[in-house]
Amino acid sequence: MCRANELIEDPLFQLNVLLWLAQPLPPQTGIAPLLYESGFTVYAISPQLGVPLDVRLGCKEKGIDLQGTVAPDVVLERENDHRFAFVECKKSSFGASSSTARQARSLLVVAGPRAADVLSEEILDSSLVFLIPEDDRECLADSLTAIREELVENGLPAAHLVVLGLLSSESEVCIVADDRASNFFQLASGENPFIELEPDTDPRPLYLIPYDPDIDQSPQQTAHSKRILFERMQSSVIAAVGPANPRSELTIGLEKILGDATLGMFSLWENAASQKHLRRLCGDLMRNIANAVNVVASGVMVVEPTGVKIALGDEAQSEKVLDALTRFSCETLDLESEPEATLFEGIEDNGAASEEAN
Amino acid sequence: MDLRQIKSRHEMTRFFDGYATDRMEELGERKLKGGPLVKTSLLEVLSGEEALTDERLLAIFGRRKVRLEPLDDTLFLVTDDDRGSIGFLERVCPRIVALYSVLFADDFGPWSRRIVMRTPELDHVWLSGLTFRVLWKLVARSSHSHRFTQLVFTHNSIFDIDGTTSESEEDDEEVSDACRDEDPTDVVDRRATSFTLVDRVGVIQEKLSSFQELYSPLYAISRLRFPSSVGRGGHDFYDNGRVTNRSGSFRDHRSHVLFVVRIYEELLKSTEQRAWYSVGKHPGVGEQLCNIVGAPVVIRFEKPLENKVFDRWVSTTFERKRNRFRLWGHPIRLGPTKVHVYGVDRHLWQPLFLELTAKGCTAIIPKGTCGNTVHRLVTNIQRYLSPGAEVFIGDKPYIEIVEEAARKIGYNVPSE
Repeated sequence: MCRANELIEDPLFQLNVLLWLAQPLPPQTGIAPLLYESGFTVYAISPQLGVPLDVRLGCKEKGIDLQGTVAPDVVLERENDHRFAFVECKKSSFGASSSTARQARSLLVVAGPRAADVLSEEILDSSLVFLIPEDDRECLADSLTAIREELVENGLPAAHLVVLGLLSSESEVCIVADDRASNFFQLASGENPFIELEPDTDPRPLYLIPYDPDIDQSPQQTAHSKRILFERMQSSVIAAVGPANPRSELTIGLEKILGDATLGMFSLWENAASQKHLRRLCGDLMRNIANAVNVVASGVMVVEPTGVKIALGDEAQSEKVLDALTRFSCETLDLESEPEATLFEGIEDNGAASEEAN
Repeated sequence: MDLRQIKSRHEMTRFFDGYATDRMEELGERKLKGGPLVKTSLLEVLSGEEALTDERLLAIFGRRKVRLEPLDDTLFLVTDDDRGSIGFLERVCPRIVALYSVLFADDFGPWSRRIVMRTPELDHVWLSGLTFRVLWKLVARSSHSHRFTQLVFTHNSIFDIDGTTSESEEDDEEVSDACRDEDPTDVVDRRATSFTLVDRVGVIQEKLSSFQELYSPLYAISRLRFPSSVGRGGHDFYDNGRVTNRSGSFRDHRSHVLFVVRIYEELLKSTEQRAWYSVGKHPGVGEQLCNIVGAPVVIRFEKPLENKVFDRWVSTTFERKRNRFRLWGHPIRLGPTKVHVYGVDRHLWQPLFLELTAKGCTAIIPKGTCGNTVHRLVTNIQRYLSPGAEVFIGDKPYIEIVEEAARKIGYNVPSE
């Protein structure tokens, strides 16, 4: 079981909590959707946003270093007054001179007065919002204020800043809002509980985004996220095999399995290394499942560079294959170690490339 | 009469009408001499992204050795290679078919259940206790208050027992369904409510809400009689989509079937529109922005389950291949009364993600998973766990969604 005070430092927990806070939910559910209740819904997840060219030129002229594109974790929108929140989750604070400050400058620009240009939307109010463990909230606020001032002093556009703290107590997990956060999100100033803690119970909600290779998690958290991803990949294969007719051959692409496991997010990830990592994880799991299936029906399941092939025989054999698939549990796998490169690796990349080309 | 002699819709209607009139007379004498009542089984046909063509319908049933012989564009004679004539199948809307038969309930029920259990493209129409609450309001609104009606309430706390559940009890939902018309077994080691209330519409309308507040199993309506519009008797709708004609008119029976099917079809559509989760491209903003859409299905139990009941629910559901909830998954234990399951509806073979706790259940339905999964889950939770459970899709009460479904097809239901 993972304790709430460890979880609030996990960026994937933060991201999923943020999404749940903006979901439509009835009262007295496991999580109180504070942001949804204030009118906010999810506008975009991890959108790649470009810093306007004139601002980039201006920064270059003034010797200010920033990223040309930046992807806040989530953009929230309040439709009735065109208010946007560009939200970034952070495990801990960072200094104004750290490498992360480069990302923060870009976030400040895209979420600021030029946000309407960046998103191509009517925006009447916007803020850059950081979600961070409460212990680091003030420290991060100081760093961000310094970074913001640097932009403003140089005549560059910069967003208003909001820093939300995540705090766990004995009995609940809260969002801590200072006056600015309270005004922007219309939350109570101070602690806003949204998860009631149960004794000996891990407070995690169902993960909408199960895994993100770009996020820095502890080995324990990575193992949990990987378990969810694997369960969802296994479900995808079972959902394909369950209704299949006996004496038929199925081909299930890795892209399809990964798409199913991530609610379609996989095809939208632009980071090639992340995609490769996920394909490798998927291939690894499929090889483990194939080993279990082929024990009961030799050679039935074959893992290929771009997916799996399952050749079902008569009704009795199909039943055995399905039994083996459903009995397999990824709980027994080593979820903490990184997947190794396989002999297929080069082909997998080429396969994926050719699929993309098609 | 050999059903194969019937060659058109007109002949089928005449046959069933005459047959129903005879049975109605016999019902008056309290003895069915000429054969069983006309009954209908409502089935949902999943066609994935393809249109449900005749060819596809023929292929789905053909795999179970059931032949469909077209009589017109939407009506088929149904013959089982092993059993002979079964009845007629009508495609009443794009996703739902009605199978009309004059077989005995003890034959027709297990036959249609067996076909459904073995065919992932078919599912029963699931009318939960909450859906019946709305249908009951429509009965009360549309019938004279002096008409007699009948409601059956079924709640069976199969997970709240002394000792362990025997394999046979949990083995298959067929057991409970087959016994449905019989008197409930007198068990003392768990709460088992199954009783029939027969009274005038006006009397039930006046008393039902107060009874339900006093005793929550009365929320678990599992059967409801729509009084016939054209004479005595009525049409009994069961929670698994079976409908028995206890009136003297098949035309009236079919008209009631169509009425409920239209509401159910709207309910399926709105459930899926609201609940389907996906990460998709932002409409109109270009390729690079993606958004998460959907709403969780939230079921709140009327009171928290005891730890042992919760454990038994989780273990009997996920450790047994054949379980009443027809779910598969490996529960991830997060606490004494909390598990997460990233699993599959093992009847329709479609994914769903579940958080189960002592206080309720939250389900994420990925895009493409049939809305029937939600309605079966709600029906089973009311029947086996929490008869007075409240259900929401997102922040909208399920019952309002059912009411809206009825309004969309022109039947105004007063809100609760």
